[in-house]
Order: sequence, then C-alpha cells, then structure tokens
Amino acid sequence: MKAFAFTLMPQTSADMFIAGGTTLVDLMKLGVVAPQRLVDLRDGGAHAGISVQGDTLHIGALTTMAALADHPAVIERLPMVRSALLQSASPQICNMATIGGNLLQRTRCSYFRDLASPCNKRAPGTGGGAIGGDARGLAVLGTSAACIAS
Amino acid sequence: MDRTFRINGHDHALTIDPRDILLEILRDRLNLTGTKKGCDHGQCGACTVLSDGKRILSCLQLGATQKGEVNTIEGLTGPDGALHLMQAAFVRHDALQCGFCTPGQILSSVACVAEGHATSAADVRAWMAGNLCRCAAYPNIVAAVLDMAGVTEAAE
Repeated sequence: MKAFAFTLMPQTSADMFIAGGTTLVDLMKLGVVAPQRLVDLRDGGAHAGISVQGDTLHIGALTTMAALADHPAVIERLPMVRSALLQSASPQICNMATIGGNLLQRTRCSYFRDLASPCNKRAPGTGGGAIGGDARGLAVLGTSAACIAS
Repeated sequence: MDRTFRINGHDHALTIDPRDILLEILRDRLNLTGTKKGCDHGQCGACTVLSDGKRILSCLQLGATQKGEVNTIEGLTGPDGALHLMQAAFVRHDALQCGFCTPGQILSSVACVAEGHATSAADVRAWMAGNLCRCAAYPNIVAAVLDMAGVTEAAE
C-alpha cells in the first residue's frame, strides 16, 4: 500500500458542505438554514469526473448538471437523462449545480422556505402549513401525517 | 477574508465578508452596476455573468467560493466604447423595452451562441429560458440571437 495522508473533516451539526450552492445559498438568504461554518467541497476539484465502465456510468458527486448533460455517453446513450437535466433547471443553474447537490436538494415547498409559516420539516413539531394550505403540486415523492411535501 | 477576483481582465484584491454574494461585490464594491439584481433567488437571470465563459447566476454565488474569471456586461464593450456585436444585434432588433433584464440577456446570449445552441428559434427559446423578461420582448430577443448566430429564420 502506498503512503497516504489522513485527515478528519471536522464537522458538527453547525457545519454544512457547499458545492454549487444554488440551493444552499438561497436557503441561507431566506434564513431557513444558518450554518456556523461552510466547507467548500469543490476546493481541489476532486470527484467531478464522469467515466463509463461497461454498461455503468460513474458520476462524481461534484459533476455539474451541465457537464453530465454534455457528456458524450449521456448524449449518445442516455438522451432521457440529458433531457431531464436540461429541463429541470436553467442553463445558468445547470452550470453551477452539482449532481450530489441534486440528490441532497431540500424540498421546494414554499412553506418550508417561509419562516413565517409553520413547517414540521424545517422545525419539527411546529405544524404543517401545507396541510390545508395551498398545496397544489407539492407532494411529488410521498406524504406523511406531518408533511405532505416530503 | 481576502480574495482576489479577476473581472473583465483585471484583478481586484478585496477583503470580503464570507456572506458577500458575487452580485453585491460587483455592484457595491466594484461599482459594476450593469449586473442587475432581479429576484435575488436564482429564478430570473437578471444577474447572469460569465465565469470562465460559462453563464452563472451571480446572486447565488458566494464571493468566497468564486473561482473562475468573471465577465460582466461592462467587459463586453470594446476599449473604444464600441458595442459588442451581440449588443448591436439587440439594438438593431429592438430586443428590449425597459432594459433591466438586458445585461443578463446579452451575456446569456453570448454564451448561448458560443455553446452552439443558437441553431433555431426553438433552440434559442429553450437555451435562453433562464432569462426572464417582464416586458416580454422575447420575439425580438430571439431574433437578435439568431441574427448574431448567423441563422436565417423568422422568429415566431
């Protein structure tokens, strides 16, 4: 085994990771999240690669949406993925946002984003503004007794 | 924290707060007020700038994490004040009314053409979808971009 450097990433619940920042910076402006410390994952540029091994596409978490959509293997063999990427955000967002961040994106529910509204997801136990409120189109992936925008 | 920003070909060494947003650094610290604050939430595209040639939203970009060279609308104009060809195309096609979204539209258009995405009116509409215009000058914007890209097609 070759020698390697080992460090621990100091992290508490008050720390958050940032990559593209298109969701996190927005939520920080709104006051929905307020990290004590931000750790920039893009320093060093690792984990942004895309590789094809057989029938498997390996996508680094820091790959931008635009880089994935423009990858030759995606253009040629996964046009549905390309189409989904390009339709889900503007070209500007696609140039910034990462695939890892996509998977970790918080709900777009307007009650979650509005500090004046109760929200069990943002502040457990406060209630669910979307329940009985304007909830058209909020529940995409499932509902619960506490939140219909989960 | 100290950061050096390369903007329109010049380096600017600034002491910034970690909270400072690129849009505000451009406008409030460097007086580059051509870049506009619209929605401030990444939805309207008025704050579009180029970072290493790629269009990004300066309202969602922390100064602390900005890496690439930034080009703003001020950087498009030639040293003698001559309009960039895309700016001239916007004038020629009357591709604006109030003009607030125009700097972002033009930077996005420059990138759109450079990316090779200005091949048809439908393509331009799809690839310019990140720039809203509340005056709805869209037909003329599409015409200007197609003209600049050398595409002859009646904008619908």
